[in-house]
Amino acid sequence: MDHQIYILVIEDEHEVMDALIKDLEDFEQTFPIESANNTKEANLVVNQICDSGDEIGLILCDHVLPGENGVDFLIGLESRKEFHNTRKVLVTGQAGLEDTINAINMANLNHYIPKPWTKESFQEVVVKQLTDFIIEKKYNPLEFMAVLDSVRLAESMRSNSLTDN
Amino acid sequence: MTLNKKQLAGLIIGIIGLAVPFFLNIEGLSYAGHVALGIFLLAASFWMLEPVPIYATSVLVILLQILLLSKEGFIFKTATEAYIPDAYTAFIGTLANPIIILFLGGFVLADAAVKYNLDKNLTRILLRPFGSQPKYIVLGLMVVTGLLSAFMSNTATTAMMMTVIIPIIVQLDKTDPLKIGLALSIPFAANIGGIATPIGTPPNAVVIGALSQQGINIPFGEWMALAVPLVIIALFFAWFLLIKMFKPSTDSITLDMSGKFNTSKNAFLLYTAFGLTVLFWVTESFHGVKSAIIALVPVVFLTLTGVVTKEDIRKLPWEVLWLVAGGISLGISMKSTGLAEWIVASIEWSAFGTITLLVVFSAVAVLMSNFLSNTVTATLLIPLAVSLATSGVAGEGFNLIIVSLVIGVSASMAMMLPISTPPNAIAMSTGTIETGDMAKAGLTVGIFGIFLVVLYAVFYWPLMLN
Repeated sequence: MDHQIYILVIEDEHEVMDALIKDLEDFEQTFPIESANNTKEANLVVNQICDSGDEIGLILCDHVLPGENGVDFLIGLESRKEFHNTRKVLVTGQAGLEDTINAINMANLNHYIPKPWTKESFQEVVVKQLTDFIIEKKYNPLEFMAVLDSVRLAESMRSNSLTDN
Repeated sequence: MTLNKKQLAGLIIGIIGLAVPFFLNIEGLSYAGHVALGIFLLAASFWMLEPVPIYATSVLVILLQILLLSKEGFIFKTATEAYIPDAYTAFIGTLANPIIILFLGGFVLADAAVKYNLDKNLTRILLRPFGSQPKYIVLGLMVVTGLLSAFMSNTATTAMMMTVIIPIIVQLDKTDPLKIGLALSIPFAANIGGIATPIGTPPNAVVIGALSQQGINIPFGEWMALAVPLVIIALFFAWFLLIKMFKPSTDSITLDMSGKFNTSKNAFLLYTAFGLTVLFWVTESFHGVKSAIIALVPVVFLTLTGVVTKEDIRKLPWEVLWLVAGGISLGISMKSTGLAEWIVASIEWSAFGTITLLVVFSAVAVLMSNFLSNTVTATLLIPLAVSLATSGVAGEGFNLIIVSLVIGVSASMAMMLPISTPPNAIAMSTGTIETGDMAKAGLTVGIFGIFLVVLYAVFYWPLMLN
């Protein structure tokens, strides 16, 4: 890969942020992690990543944040072409039905992780979402085989007309 | 396009290599030979160090030969005493050489097979008789992988088999050596299986292309008669080695493959096309219709019926065809300018016995293709061997077909490193193998491969060819 694929975590409660980062440990080597405590910070990070020619593969976003809330932030990202493939996941216990509906309909939400979560199911979601990302973007799956869903990645290799050389 | 050190070196060496012969006056080499040498040095450097993709180098080679060596080029507009320039059509014609057409047919069939899941469904059925004992399941996997990779690309076969073995590996105990054995069994079987038929892997195309330039045609079935016994022995050896090196600690594994054969009309059309094509290929010596001609039939049939669509055609690996064409093209100019003959004459070959030469060629091919593309290895070595054989310099018993086969087969026996072949890279990427495991096992298979190939070259192939 000639550029980085980031995981962005947006969460204002420090304890929750720490827990999220800890559960993302296994992915850090392949997908560097950036964090933000509110959407203003998040937007700065997003622009930084964009400017350096890198991408965001996955956003894990809390909903109740100081200032703009998570769902509105994700809806805002929808208008930016560079993030059309980015997987968007809400990690929250406090998004009401209307907000959730908006997230699905207007922000193209890919998954909703209600708090509290278990490490196992959380990592399953991260693996699935990032695998979807890699397959969609048709990136060379080899460097992700050990970290993501290797069976699905191998399957995607079949339809990409791999050849001997 | 940022180049790393190796690539930068390749770029510089290649460009210097192209230019230098123009300023030299090498004895015994015609002016055309000097030009061909420049192109050869550029090609070798670019192919080995890859500053640009290898298929790009191949078309560059074709273009340079047209511009610098053909009748329509800048330098040799008329024949001289030393060199009769080829028409430019000879060079671009390599893109439609019969072996290229044969491979095209193979690609279309293989891609359609993947599209309709024929490969996966066949695997499921063929694995059933192998039971649940780990060592026999590994054998079954290797046999099926070898069989498929004889007709599909080794890489595509490996990718598919990964989807079969990864679920098994995940179930196993973390310390069970079977994990490593399983992960290595697939690329080994895929690389070996590719030797079995002309379309199994691109180095085979280089062999057939080079021989056909010398007027020698090897029918599909004859190649199989020469190669299949070797493939079977090599496969069993690799299996035996892997089970020995990575003794399974579990007693049984469950292979859970679900799915059923695609029963749509298109799928049946594919099954028919595939079966009939293989049948007619294998019987080429009986009915006499060239395998390249037969190869066009499924291409026509499947596109006429819409089984294979425009999108499928666009996804074919055309760059592999260019890669092989470039190699054939280089062989043409190396021969007609006298370059190959000159290279061959520079070494005192009569000092070596035939068997020594065969061992050396095989070992060099295995060594090179461990670090380079197998096709590039074959492309660089075969013209030299052809020249050696046709000039008679290496003495009697140095049969052109045999030495080409030795190189072509040996080029597929390289499996020590992740970079050796794409199947190796795929297996490595799963994270279940250490480089040391692959290196040890791959080296052993490589050495056995050299031994086996030379054995065949001395005893079996001369028997079959006469």
